[in-house]
Amino acid sequence: MERITGIAKTILTEAKKLGADYAQCTVSESEKKEFNVDGGQFSLMRTLFDRNIIITVLKEQRKGTVQINRFEEETVKAAVADAIAASDSGKPDPAWEFAQGPADESFEEGAPDCDMDRLFMRTKELLETIREKHPKILMEQMITEHDAGRTVFMSSNGVCYRTRSGCYTFGLMYSAHEGEKSSSFYGSDVTLKTLDKPIIECALIERELTAVEQQLDPEPLEGKFVGPAILAPAALAEIVIETVVGSFVSDMSLIDGTSIWKDKLGQEVADPSFSLAFRPFSEDVVIGDHYTGEGYPAENYDLIRNGKLMSFALSQYGANKTDGKRAGNQSSNMIIESGKETLEQLIGGIEKGILVMRFSGGQPSPGGEFSGVAKNSFLIENGKIAGALSETMISGCVPEMLRQIRGISSDTLKDGNVSLPYIAFEGITISGK
Amino acid sequence: MLQDLLNEQKALFTPGVHTELRGQNNRNRRVILLSGDVVANVRSDVSGVSARVYRNGVWGFSSMAEYTKEAAGTVLKAASENAAFMDRHAGNGKPPIQALEGGKPFTMEAFHDPEQKVYVDFAREIDDYVMKHCPNLTSRKVIATEDSMEKLLKVSDGRDAHILSPRSYIYVFLSAETTAGVPVELFKPFGGSGTFDVNFTDPSALYSGIDRLYEQLMQKREGVYADAGEKTVILGGMMTGMLSHEAVGHTVEADLVLGGSVAAHYLNKRVASDLVTLTDFAHTAFGKPCPLPVFVDDEGTEAKDVTLIREGILTGYMNSRETAQHFGMEPAGNARAWMFSDEPLIRMRNTTVHPGKDRLEDMIASIDDGYYLIDSGNGQADTTGEFMFGVTMGYEIKGGKLGKALLDTTISGVAFEMLKTVDMVSDEIVWCSSGFCGKKQPMPVGMGGPALRCKVKIGGR
Repeated sequence: MERITGIAKTILTEAKKLGADYAQCTVSESEKKEFNVDGGQFSLMRTLFDRNIIITVLKEQRKGTVQINRFEEETVKAAVADAIAASDSGKPDPAWEFAQGPADESFEEGAPDCDMDRLFMRTKELLETIREKHPKILMEQMITEHDAGRTVFMSSNGVCYRTRSGCYTFGLMYSAHEGEKSSSFYGSDVTLKTLDKPIIECALIERELTAVEQQLDPEPLEGKFVGPAILAPAALAEIVIETVVGSFVSDMSLIDGTSIWKDKLGQEVADPSFSLAFRPFSEDVVIGDHYTGEGYPAENYDLIRNGKLMSFALSQYGANKTDGKRAGNQSSNMIIESGKETLEQLIGGIEKGILVMRFSGGQPSPGGEFSGVAKNSFLIENGKIAGALSETMISGCVPEMLRQIRGISSDTLKDGNVSLPYIAFEGITISGK
Repeated sequence: MLQDLLNEQKALFTPGVHTELRGQNNRNRRVILLSGDVVANVRSDVSGVSARVYRNGVWGFSSMAEYTKEAAGTVLKAASENAAFMDRHAGNGKPPIQALEGGKPFTMEAFHDPEQKVYVDFAREIDDYVMKHCPNLTSRKVIATEDSMEKLLKVSDGRDAHILSPRSYIYVFLSAETTAGVPVELFKPFGGSGTFDVNFTDPSALYSGIDRLYEQLMQKREGVYADAGEKTVILGGMMTGMLSHEAVGHTVEADLVLGGSVAAHYLNKRVASDLVTLTDFAHTAFGKPCPLPVFVDDEGTEAKDVTLIREGILTGYMNSRETAQHFGMEPAGNARAWMFSDEPLIRMRNTTVHPGKDRLEDMIASIDDGYYLIDSGNGQADTTGEFMFGVTMGYEIKGGKLGKALLDTTISGVAFEMLKTVDMVSDEIVWCSSGFCGKKQPMPVGMGGPALRCKVKIGGR
């Protein structure tokens, strides 16, 4: 930590010497240990030693940013000069604003030290358990890793944060096979602080493997109908959350005025049962952000509370450009409040609809309209799963869906980064052959 | 330019063990103007060294963010230890990788590094043009960018190489609103292989493309929703490129074949109409340089073309040296890595359907009720061959003539079924190279194709 702190100080001193009005930098060192499984067999072990420096300077309200991954003093000083040259070529913008100090804090999070033998043991155990309990599953690729790092954020405004962190992640990509029959591929992921239990018991991995094994004989849907769709957490994130965050509440869409929610702050935008927050300090999050990219201390915040839009996801720059208010953090730690019904109960209340595990769709329009293929999905008939589906498209409009929530499950995906339930939406166009 | 600090480190290779040592620098330059404001002004240089070692069917890999002889020695040692660990705990006893013949090291000419002002000034000129000539916009965005790779490769067998791959682009994004107040957007990339100052010398060279983009956006503003269902369509060259890459190309990457791709069952079988021939070109296609040429891959294999589909029959897979040995095929230079800290993976290079004999006008005239689908925002495909592409620009075809523009929609199908419905292929191909292919790592790729007349499922509202 001492070494990277010294480099950060050098950067700020050099930036001041070269005429920067403001400078900030993030200096980090990291180490990754990784096992790869390909086609169901161990294939590769990797050890990576990495470094990273991001320097941002402001000179006469012009911003320049440079990223390098070398620590030699000469290279670091050249990078600062490069950042100044980049800012000189820019255009003044008074909206750039960064946190004022003093602030000096240290954080330690997750599992900074790697237990390599245990990581390998859990990886091998997971592979063997899947072979035994889910013999139809072929593991296209499994990547298990431990990432550890030390980071210093320092600014010329007297802000300094030091972080030491680490975590284990398991990423699985697989499909089910029997003879020439195969399901669509599916991915399960989890981030962990400890390896104290078998990985198959974490997140929704066991449930997802079971579901994919049931997708070997999918049938195309006949015809087209408008009805309810239950979006599993992965599909919910892909369709609803990415649209809301990407198109309705972010810096870009609010600055350029294309957000259809730009005038909706404080108003109802969703069913009262729907609450979405960004909580890096949730107990469900293994490593959360402690500060924003502009140096402000992070805090949890509600984006939507009981259907009402409580905040935009603005940076300080975005807030200054739009006369808005900076959001509490810029993390991706989404927490959607769970409901009271189990997934089974949600399914039980549907006469004809669809359960979508994964969505393969085009970029939703700026207005939130989307269409795409319902992957790894099931037809629901008379309150029960009637069979797996192939070649089935769904389309809808996210702002309308949020007002037509039929139910939210108590079952949730907690993968170490987010907490997301299953949500049933009305009014989805579901079309087959 | 990377100095050759690695040659003498080859003495550290274990004799008879396949070993790769690679020094690499990735540089990125990016300027974003959002409605005239410089919201990003970034320069990035990331370099280091990595080693990969093969032992009895498993690999060890290590990398360091430092390009020195000492770092090369460290990663070689760590990669060997990792390979030994894997062999001890999970080795599968496969034979050694068959050695390739060496050859003269492959080298390319140096490229230079324009200063940031070049990007900012050019982006501003384009932004000024858009502001003055495209009046009915709600917002505009101009991105000037370059991402370039330089690799210095030393291998135990095969060809050593010093590879330089610059590419640079201007992206123009235009947004407007329909009369109902619904936002619509279109974007167009300009550029290709080469550094920014070589590709972009005159802003006016882009003006006609921007005018056409604005015209299309104004048509889209008055656009209609596609009628959902299976339709006869013409896929424009960009859409064919997406299909070639996403829906066919990935299913015939040998690592995905081993991982469960449907193509495992289709080799030497009919998967398309006999009008369809599909090749992953290395560096030259139809007598011209490919958009992103590859001469030697990161395993030291000299790059050659791979014919994937010949007249409708699936004829091959894309391989690494390891998978080529498994399938009894010839490696053709498809194993590439994105950063110094990445291991080579099987990647496409320049994938395209070959041109046919039909004229696009005749193809449009042949359809009574269908669609002409021109541009795609994104696309995804499954290892089953089932695909989905977003359609950002297209037109109705009514009575053999183009009708109204379409609002955003999606097409989907199963590639190896849909390609059997191809009954007309245009005589010109369109290339695109601005995107990244996503696998475990990103990778710049070229894709292209002629217009195809076929049947496909289209999503409506």
